[in-house]
Amino acid sequence: MKRTLGALSLLFILGVLLIVASPNYGLKFGLGGKDWQAHRYTDQYYIEHGVEEVGGTNIVTDIVFDYRGYDTIGEATVLFTAIAGAIALLRPWRRDENE
Amino acid sequence: MSEDMGLIVKTTARATIPLIGIFGAYIVSHGHLTPGGGFQGGATIAGAGVLFLIAFGLSEAKKRYDHHVYSALESLGGLVFLGIAMLGFSVAFFYNILWRNGIAFAGKPGTLLSAGYLPIMNLAVGLKVFAGLISAMMAVATYRRWKE
Repeated sequence: MKRTLGALSLLFILGVLLIVASPNYGLKFGLGGKDWQAHRYTDQYYIEHGVEEVGGTNIVTDIVFDYRGYDTIGEATVLFTAIAGAIALLRPWRRDENE
Repeated sequence: MSEDMGLIVKTTARATIPLIGIFGAYIVSHGHLTPGGGFQGGATIAGAGVLFLIAFGLSEAKKRYDHHVYSALESLGGLVFLGIAMLGFSVAFFYNILWRNGIAFAGKPGTLLSAGYLPIMNLAVGLKVFAGLISAMMAVATYRRWKE
């Protein structure tokens, strides 16, 4: 009974979130007005201007390396940090010599 | 127990490792034209390294791996990435000045020498991801805690 209630309430919360987050009739954050969708959803802008502004025909690379370049720097830093952490954790420590 | 995986696996690995490397280099160098890019291509080339390690064994891989070289390669990739991003710093960070002002790599969209700094950045990120993944793989393989 309790599990059924929990699952049903989870489903209810998920449905409410789907309705609230819908771009057509849900909550609207940010700029209002008629061109709200143009400001909020930038995908059409990338498809129309990407080749002309960045030059690559692969729009994903245009976004990753030009429009969202800071994100790529963070990604490279995360990779570097993960490898540095893995090596720092895995290398033999001084206490291991006594075992 | 020997470290490598026998004649059949070794012969297959000798045939496929160059092909995997060529495919990864293609993914990296055509990152601005076709699906893929630096991260994916670098991971593909690192897959050739993983195949080498499991086919030929750790001692054979240790002979060909120098962690000074790989650490220098990863640093070079990161520095080239940042330096290319700083090129257009007179306007903005990550401003594609090579393409917008037509300095270099400014061919027609869809050709290999187009898209400004994107091919250089793809090469840098591919180098960085390749060197980093190989270093992580060798660290995991070298510093194992269990006995043979």
